Amino acid sequence: MTARHVVIIGNGPAANEAAISLRTQAPDARITIISKEPIRYYKPHLLPDLIAGKVSEQDLYVNPLEFYKENDIRLRLGQEVVHVSFATNEVVMEHKEVVRFDGLIIATGGKPRIPEPLQVFEDLMLSLKTLSDAKVWKERLRWVDSVLIVGGDLTSLSFTKAVLSLGKKVYFILHGDSFWPVRFNEELSSEVSQRLSDRGVEVISCRKILRLVMASEDSVEVETDGRKLRVGAIGAFFGLVPDVKFLARSGLAIERGIVVDEFLRTRFEGVYAAGDCAQVYHPKLRDYWVSIGYRNARNLGRVAALNLLGGQESAETAPAGIFQLDDISVNTSWWTEF
Amino acid sequence: MPKVDITVEVCGMAGDGTIAAGGLVNEAMSLGGFSVLGFDSYPAEIRGFGRCVTRSRIGSNEIGALADETHILISLDDLQSRSRVPFLARDSAVLFDSKPDTLLEEEQSLAAVVEPGTALFGIPFTYLATAATGTSRGRNLAALGGFAALFGVQPEWFRRVITRKFQSKGEKVLEVNLKSFDAGFHYALEKFADRLRPSFAAANVVAGPEKVMLSGNQAIGQAALDAGLKLYFGYPITPATPIMEFLAKYLPAKGGRVVQMEDEIASVGAVLGAFYAGARAMTATSGPGFALMTELITHGVMAEIPAVILNAQRGGPSTGLPTKTEQSDLHAAVFGGPGDSSRIVIAPSNVAECYSFTVQSFQLAEKYQTPVIVLTDFYLDNRVENVVMPVASEKEKTDGNLYPDESLQGSYHRYLDTESGVSPRSLPGMEGFAYVATGLEHTERAQPDYTPEIHTKMTGKRHRKLQYALEDLPVPVEYSDGGQLDVGIIGWGSTFGSIQEAVNMARERGWKVAALKITSIFPYHEKEIRSFMTKCREILITELNYEGQLANLIGHLHRKEVVRLNQVTGVPFSPSAIFSKIEALLQAGVS
Amino acid sequence: MKTAATSLAEQIRHIKEAKKFDIRSGALPTWCPGCGYFGIHQGLNACIQELGLAHHEVVTVSGIGCAGRYPFFTSNYGLHTVHGRTLPVAQGVKLANPDLTVYAVGGDGDGLAIGGGHFPHAARRNVNINYLMFDNSIYGLTKGQPSPSSPVGMKSKASPFGTLDKPLNATLMALTYGASFVARLFAGDPKGITEALIEGTQHEGFAFFHIYSTCLTFDKAYKTWAHLKQWVHPIPEDHDPADLRRAFDLVLGDDFSTGIIYRRE
Ligand SMILES: Cc1cc2nc3c(=O)[nH]c(=O)nc-3n(C[C@H](O)[C@H](O)[C@H](O)COP(=O)(O)OP(=O)(O)OC[C@H]3O[C@@H](n4cnc5c(N)ncnc54)[C@H](O)[C@@H]3O)c2cc1C
Ligand SMILES: Cc1ncc(C[n+]2csc(CCOP(=O)(O)OP(=O)(O)O)c2C)c(N)n1
Ligand code: SF4
Ligand SMILES: [Mg+2]
Repeated sequence: MTARHVVIIGNGPAANEAAISLRTQAPDARITIISKEPIRYYKPHLLPDLIAGKVSEQDLYVNPLEFYKENDIRLRLGQEVVHVSFATNEVVMEHKEVVRFDGLIIATGGKPRIPEPLQVFEDLMLSLKTLSDAKVWKERLRWVDSVLIVGGDLTSLSFTKAVLSLGKKVYFILHGDSFWPVRFNEELSSEVSQRLSDRGVEVISCRKILRLVMASEDSVEVETDGRKLRVGAIGAFFGLVPDVKFLARSGLAIERGIVVDEFLRTRFEGVYAAGDCAQVYHPKLRDYWVSIGYRNARNLGRVAALNLLGGQESAETAPAGIFQLDDISVNTSWWTEF
Repeated sequence: MPKVDITVEVCGMAGDGTIAAGGLVNEAMSLGGFSVLGFDSYPAEIRGFGRCVTRSRIGSNEIGALADETHILISLDDLQSRSRVPFLARDSAVLFDSKPDTLLEEEQSLAAVVEPGTALFGIPFTYLATAATGTSRGRNLAALGGFAALFGVQPEWFRRVITRKFQSKGEKVLEVNLKSFDAGFHYALEKFADRLRPSFAAANVVAGPEKVMLSGNQAIGQAALDAGLKLYFGYPITPATPIMEFLAKYLPAKGGRVVQMEDEIASVGAVLGAFYAGARAMTATSGPGFALMTELITHGVMAEIPAVILNAQRGGPSTGLPTKTEQSDLHAAVFGGPGDSSRIVIAPSNVAECYSFTVQSFQLAEKYQTPVIVLTDFYLDNRVENVVMPVASEKEKTDGNLYPDESLQGSYHRYLDTESGVSPRSLPGMEGFAYVATGLEHTERAQPDYTPEIHTKMTGKRHRKLQYALEDLPVPVEYSDGGQLDVGIIGWGSTFGSIQEAVNMARERGWKVAALKITSIFPYHEKEIRSFMTKCREILITELNYEGQLANLIGHLHRKEVVRLNQVTGVPFSPSAIFSKIEALLQAGVS
Repeated sequence: MKTAATSLAEQIRHIKEAKKFDIRSGALPTWCPGCGYFGIHQGLNACIQELGLAHHEVVTVSGIGCAGRYPFFTSNYGLHTVHGRTLPVAQGVKLANPDLTVYAVGGDGDGLAIGGGHFPHAARRNVNINYLMFDNSIYGLTKGQPSPSSPVGMKSKASPFGTLDKPLNATLMALTYGASFVARLFAGDPKGITEALIEGTQHEGFAFFHIYSTCLTFDKAYKTWAHLKQWVHPIPEDHDPADLRRAFDLVLGDDFSTGIIYRRE
């Protein structure tokens, strides 16, 4: 297929890898990256370091803006896609603009998830997904000296390190439902608790959070089934869900992510998904897996781009990288670093 | 205190309330104590049907020119605003309507073309205004609300100027506008809480005495009113027409009259007739009309009849570039016409001078009995600046006529050859002083006479007057710190703001650069100009024309060839263009 | 009217003795002896005299041409402008000081050719001035070229094979332009001129006086004294100047009837 206009939704590693692969393979294609975040491509995995003050904002950015100019990639920042019509091959933007595409790569990643029972307290909890979230944390941590972390996903651990490095007190409520899309089992849970305690974190064991109340401008009161405490801020770390709500009525198959085959094709011609938002079929396992991690995302982005241009590359990875938790196959390129 | 120098643009379709919104930005920022220089472009002046753009440069320090780049673009129409994208500065911000009535194609969308480094602020102007007031009419005000919230402008400033502007239109209209503004303000404050850029608040500007926004043309019109203008004669021509329209509105209440004549010849003819009969009159025109006036202007010179003629310069010969700016009528103004017919030519360089020079022109014309030409240009006429409302003093307003002594009744020499060349002038109705003002060469008693003696004597008399006039004419203004200079820039008219800014840039680098503003083009202050030139190694004369018309006029005063910087792009000099020239001159000097 | 045969010295004496001509300036008209303009001069002077206007409250504004010289030969205030611009300047004077009585004078070239554009506008603007067009159907001052009112076929140095262009009819034009007072007069009838001028001067608004004259120096064949005297006749007794239709009929039917043709209050 000679792609005339390829639209990439997302500006994370998957999207950027896709864009540059497209440019290399198809010098004439018109490429547009659309991202709802108003800033350029940065490394999310450095956000904890930013909070810890180990790196500066500048260190986070990957490519200068000129890079996109030089490669003739149109970068549309701070613009959100709210709908895609596969009947007309159109992307609809939040600001009511319609962008036509010949090929589409969806790489919208994930967004923080808060389990249902805790959603009533959403306003009192902070999460960490974007640079903007990190800045809020950074600001908050200037004023408070204790943080309660609920959940326990991969991010929570690097975040905990960052908070500790600032000399703040950390409380932790390990939540069974935290490492989406898998549940902690006993073994994993105690291993994590142990590691946290070793680092000076006070791990609170409880079944339930009963009450969260704003006590003052910079303190929240927490009541669990066993305990009451006052902390400066509460972080919710329950993993990410694919950020695909805007596709709900588009006709795409969506389960734990956008369902794609091993070539990352969706059910619509010329439409691919890559990165954290995809749910990929694995022919050997005869099952789907979801991707987590920076390197995975980049790889999937590259594969989607090649296949969009007519390639036949499979996204399959060594089954060793994939592990089973509950009934979901997770492939993380990040796990090892934890 | 951080220095603020921000250019704000509002762009929309005719009917979007663009010009009104831009005007409110100017007024509000002026109220807040900032210096404001604004410039509007209407459909006729720029390509693209119906496009309106207002530009406002807002600064904590004095401002003399528009800047090259725009920092904040408030778009009331995506398609129209796309054309403004190339003018956006690197870290600019764009406010646009994120919920327009209809879906936009990518080819119509502003968001589709802004550079990724530009901060986009989508605010649903139409939706907010409609939700708050039941009508979308206030969407431009919702946009201003967003602007105020994002950039740290006190909403109270806006509320006050909105009230001032819409009060007279009734409670309902005012309410729609205020509510729409508030809706935009609160929306943006909340929605972009983590992206606010309160640059204006950070400037901590303190409001001084109240200022008004005046365009060059309004200042001229107001000055004419204040100076006791009785008759305005004119023929429509861009960019002078607004003066006629302004006076048509306000002059009748002061007992005067605006007469739209059949052409510019008739206009200046009537002005001469009126001054001859003792009334203050004026006309305003632009190049093509000025060319038509030439013969009668020389008649004013010859018959020694006062006249005030404003030439709002536009670009090029013939019809040229009607909506562009240029300074290429200097030769025509000073020398245009047959014979040795130079006359007084003054050129204001900013809005305040538009006022003061116009007031002064009447007295000068009367006192020296010759046409006075005020040279402005498209850019100066149409830009608005916030100034403390100028008021002409009684002294400035007084009659400049010199009447004959009663005792001379019956033996009156209308063209008496006095030391200064100025002879007492009678007015029709004065008994015993009748004479015929004639364009033929004449004797002191106004009798036609072509003898060598008379022509020599009377030509001398007419030119002598101009030298005497120098003492009353606006003197050159030196913009320097004193001391020896490497480069001295000489300029005139509306370009001087850009020159000043270029000089500032040069001085920040420690360069020895200064500027001299020539306000009296003819006669000019030779002594003052020379003394400035003496201090400078190089003289750079910067003007918006091809021929270097001021340089041709005064260049010979410098001991060596003056350097010229000329531009005929139809747009004002950008300060950086002048700065680059200074830099080049200095480098050339080093090697 | 005395013919050119009367000696100049005689004329001067006559002028000086005739007290009623004291409105003249000390300068004697430099027109050619026998020029039709003397008659107009006489007519206007008599009008001013009869109306009792003070010299210093009268301004004569003129263009360039033999006719344009007129102001020099009066002791009024005068404004000798440039070629063709009589009317705008005169309006400026009047608007500046409505107490002044303003006479605008100029030739047919001045008012129909170079200044032709001002004529309709002065008429429709209706500023209270009096415009005397000295129509000798020739450019006198520049020595005999055809003018816009010259007859077709007129031969001159500038038109050795005869002119091709049709003449303009200034009276008809004035009616068409909506002038509120229109009179057609003859330089050979100073009394008629005075009478019409007296009415016209008192008329509030633009008053136009189309005055046939002759340039005896450069026109030996067309609008000569002899011809004009033969052609010119008074308008019918029963003419009603208030009736615009009849005014048009009159002018369209006859080029040479003289008197007050139209007046609108
Ligand atoms: C704090 C933190 C630390 C991490 N640390 C590590 C680590 O150490 N190692 C590791 O391997 N991984 C780490 N990860 C995970 C890794 O960053 C992600 O797996 C990876 O970024 C996924 O890439 P992606 O391109 O699929 O999506 P993302 O990086 O999430 O990018 C999604 C993009 O889509 C855009 N978008 C979403 N919806 C829309 C829409 N509707 N319209 C327009 N644009 C939209 C977003 O603005 C964003 O630009 C970390 C993540 C976080 C948050
Ligand atoms: C602008 C200009 N063009 C040409 C002339 C030369 N000129 C002087 S008088 C005249 C014509 C005069 O004819 P008319 O107006 O009929 O007056 P007359 O001399 O017949 O009274 C001309 C062409 C001039 N003075 N000025
Ligand atoms: S040239 Fe003709 S019009 Fe002129 S003064 Fe002589 S006769 Fe009269
Ligand atoms: Mg003539």
